[in-house]
Amino acid sequence: MAQKAERPKPYLVPEYCKGCGRCVGVCTKGCITFSEEINHQTGIAPVKLDLEKCNSCGLCIDACPEPFSLLAVESGETVDSKNPAKLFLDKKNDAIKPIAIANQEIPMPKTEPMVIKGNYAAAIGAMIAGCRHMYGYPITPSTEGAELMAKFLPKMNGWYLQAVSEVATINHMYGTAGAGLPTMTFTSSPGFSLMVEGISYMVGAELPSVIVNVMRGGPGLGNIAPEQSDIKFACRGLGHGNTHAICLTPSTPQEVLDLTIEAFELAFKYRNPVIILLDGYLGQMTGKVNLPTHLNKPGIPEWAVYGDRAHRGNLINSIDLAEPDLERRNEKICAKYATMKAHARADNFMTDDAEILLVACNTPARISKGAVQNLREAGVKAGLFRPITVWPFPVEQLKTLLPKTKQIVVVEASAGQLEDELRLELNKAGVEKLPEIRHIRRMGGNLPQQADVVAYVKSIAK
Amino acid sequence: MSTAFYNKFERHSNGVGLKGHSTHYCAGCGHGIVHKYLSEAISELGIQDDTVMVSPVGCSVFAYYYFDTGNTQAAHGRAPAVAIGHKLANPKAMVISYQGDGDLASIGLAETIAVAQLGSPLTVIFINNAIYGMTGGQMAPTTLMGQTTSTSPDGRKQINGQPIKMAEQIAQLDGPIYVERVALFSPAERNKARKAIKKALQLQKEGRGYAFVEVLAECPTHLKITPDKSEKWVKENMVPIFPLGVKKDVDVEPWWDIKEPIFDSEKILGLIGGTTEKTERFCKEFPSHIHPADISLKLAGSGGDGAQTAAILVTTAGINEGFDGTHIPAYGPESRGGTSYADVHIAKTEVLNPASPLPHILIAYNAPSLAKFGSSVTNNGFILFDNSVAKEFEPADSSIKVIGVPFAEIAADLGKMVVKNIVSLGALAAATNIFPRETFLATIKQALKDKASLMPLNEQAFDRGYKAAKDCMQTKGY
Ligand code: SF4
Repeated sequence: MAQKAERPKPYLVPEYCKGCGRCVGVCTKGCITFSEEINHQTGIAPVKLDLEKCNSCGLCIDACPEPFSLLAVESGETVDSKNPAKLFLDKKNDAIKPIAIANQEIPMPKTEPMVIKGNYAAAIGAMIAGCRHMYGYPITPSTEGAELMAKFLPKMNGWYLQAVSEVATINHMYGTAGAGLPTMTFTSSPGFSLMVEGISYMVGAELPSVIVNVMRGGPGLGNIAPEQSDIKFACRGLGHGNTHAICLTPSTPQEVLDLTIEAFELAFKYRNPVIILLDGYLGQMTGKVNLPTHLNKPGIPEWAVYGDRAHRGNLINSIDLAEPDLERRNEKICAKYATMKAHARADNFMTDDAEILLVACNTPARISKGAVQNLREAGVKAGLFRPITVWPFPVEQLKTLLPKTKQIVVVEASAGQLEDELRLELNKAGVEKLPEIRHIRRMGGNLPQQADVVAYVKSIAK
Repeated sequence: MSTAFYNKFERHSNGVGLKGHSTHYCAGCGHGIVHKYLSEAISELGIQDDTVMVSPVGCSVFAYYYFDTGNTQAAHGRAPAVAIGHKLANPKAMVISYQGDGDLASIGLAETIAVAQLGSPLTVIFINNAIYGMTGGQMAPTTLMGQTTSTSPDGRKQINGQPIKMAEQIAQLDGPIYVERVALFSPAERNKARKAIKKALQLQKEGRGYAFVEVLAECPTHLKITPDKSEKWVKENMVPIFPLGVKKDVDVEPWWDIKEPIFDSEKILGLIGGTTEKTERFCKEFPSHIHPADISLKLAGSGGDGAQTAAILVTTAGINEGFDGTHIPAYGPESRGGTSYADVHIAKTEVLNPASPLPHILIAYNAPSLAKFGSSVTNNGFILFDNSVAKEFEPADSSIKVIGVPFAEIAADLGKMVVKNIVSLGALAAATNIFPRETFLATIKQALKDKASLMPLNEQAFDRGYKAAKDCMQTKGY
């Protein structure tokens, strides 16, 4: 046991003392006093020590708020205040250089096609992508995805944690993503609104995550019927600051599965959230789904704060008080956005000789596909351009179709959000000669109908 | 004395000059003392490598400057939500949510309470100094009655509500196992604070549960008094409102024993029902006599008619035969108890539009459905309806075949109303020849899974429907 005589005595490093004097009152021997003498380095008057009567009670050290100001020095020890590495003499436990633990691809046997609905396809895709941490707050029409995860994840020693709100959801995800693991949520428009603060933090802190937003009718409480209500929001409004994320817009259950798996890859590749936009109709739609040949066993990236020795030196944050630092962070993020452009993707249907080009994504794209078929049968040269990513918008792919295109018809279940993206991107791409851009829009949870698309396009075809 | 502080605070102004070894806190601030106790406890418990320190928004936003542990900085109020995300990602991690009063007791109340109630092993350190420090001395949820701040310039009044007592709030939840309020104004209180902090970590280390330590701390800057006067202020003004002491301390056996997640293809396939077993095919070719490439069906009835199940069976049958198939149920509140209808497509290669506004085939399970959709059926199409509940229907075009089969009556006769939809599938097979009988039966068998004993009943129902449809067609001369 330590004897009284062996207990350490305080040692003052004056340049780290802020002169608060919390140590002064506690010394029963009166060893510590306020002083008027200003330290020329700090411009502050540190306290003054006279240890003649010191009984090594250590109360002054306990009262000092500064780590390096009042040090405990064993008798016989010397302190080299000019060499701070030696200030804490017993500290030998330095963090090691962070290491990455690689993902593992685990083969899956070839299975028969499955018959599953869009929401389930996203959940199954996430499980195959290695996601074992799903957080969420129930909201129609996205709940089946969460329900499936709640059923299956615990059986794989994973977690479905029902959060107190969407705000908590995205922050649970922030924690798990910060630890370097795949995490996701299912939500729908109003819930997505609540998540954007956290999305902005994730973009700033460069954290990967996948958010499946099964869009519904808005604004406000709106309704639970399918609307493409959040295209603008997902492309242009992911919270405060310079935020973007790859936004994927599948149109079949198969594509939901495939793009969910890819979303995790992209999220980790860019250390950025990825948004999957579904509409309620697609979420409910059952279709044929083939499973991939591999599943992913996630490792731990080098940058993660996992809570182990290998990653102790890491930090997840998005704060830079110094303007040059924050500008640098933004420049880095912008550079990532620029490389994300390479993932802009679209699907063309009968566009080779199309003079009237329908543009649509999600379920309206399937309705439009049916319409194109009908129009072709009626001799109208129509085609469909279907963005699979709405951000980045596949503008280069669209540009190659423009020379033959006489008219564009944007078919969407919103008040023109896809059309706005299209116009903005064409403008930014410097396209001067635009074909006439028309539209078919439905809102309030109504989808454009195939017959209406056919009739409209016939009416504008010469 | 061992610590878990960095030797040099490289993140504090890049460690340049004196900042490399001093905190960003004001002179006499309570944060620094709590940091020291926390750092000591981390070191003494040997958990430095495993620790994830979650910094909040507030004066301690830069806690990560100092702790040589894993560090995460959270959005305002969200530290406990972030902390639990870390804890579930790595259940062996030691996660600390360090928060001030604005963060924990105002903007983050929902997360604070919800995470406390979860009860998972976690350590929450709550610095209550009755003021907003970082934003410059505004009223906090814990500001005392009458206390002047920059947003309660005439003192906190009744309209602002009373200061919130978090330790008591947290203690009355079932989740937490240890809650204590401590202070820093005297050696005795500091000693208790140091012990409480260590205990809160110890409980997490042992996997026992959630611990919460509220520390009454001094903010001399915004109290606008000297550090020693602020100690006195806390003692005389805060303690009567925020009584010190243990608020909850229950004995809990270690329970936090979390297994490694499983990544196994057999396991996943088993759960989701993926199978390597080839399904047998019975169709020679696509039923192009109905439509050359894409057949559209509508199945309509009311809630309990089984229209959705029948729709899924038709879709699955098509996919089993190597075609594409889609099913989309009626969407919206009307599917709850009201009408229930389903759009189904079977396509040779790809279903373009999964909606069936103008179906080739309608199966109507009641009179309203027949009335609603009967006239939407395309020429040369089929209308199958339950003639035990609906009257004969006059099609819009004579090319449309209308086949009445007593779905309900047959099912009742078989003693199980639930097979009504299987009767309808028999009728569908008979009337349209969409798929052979074997296709349907194989799909039904697949869907029944472990309830294979029900197969004979289903087969009977299917065949009765089949025969009734054939009889009707013969009578009508189709
Ligand atoms: S403002 Fe108050 S709480 Fe913040 S660092 Fe200064 S003294 Fe501490």
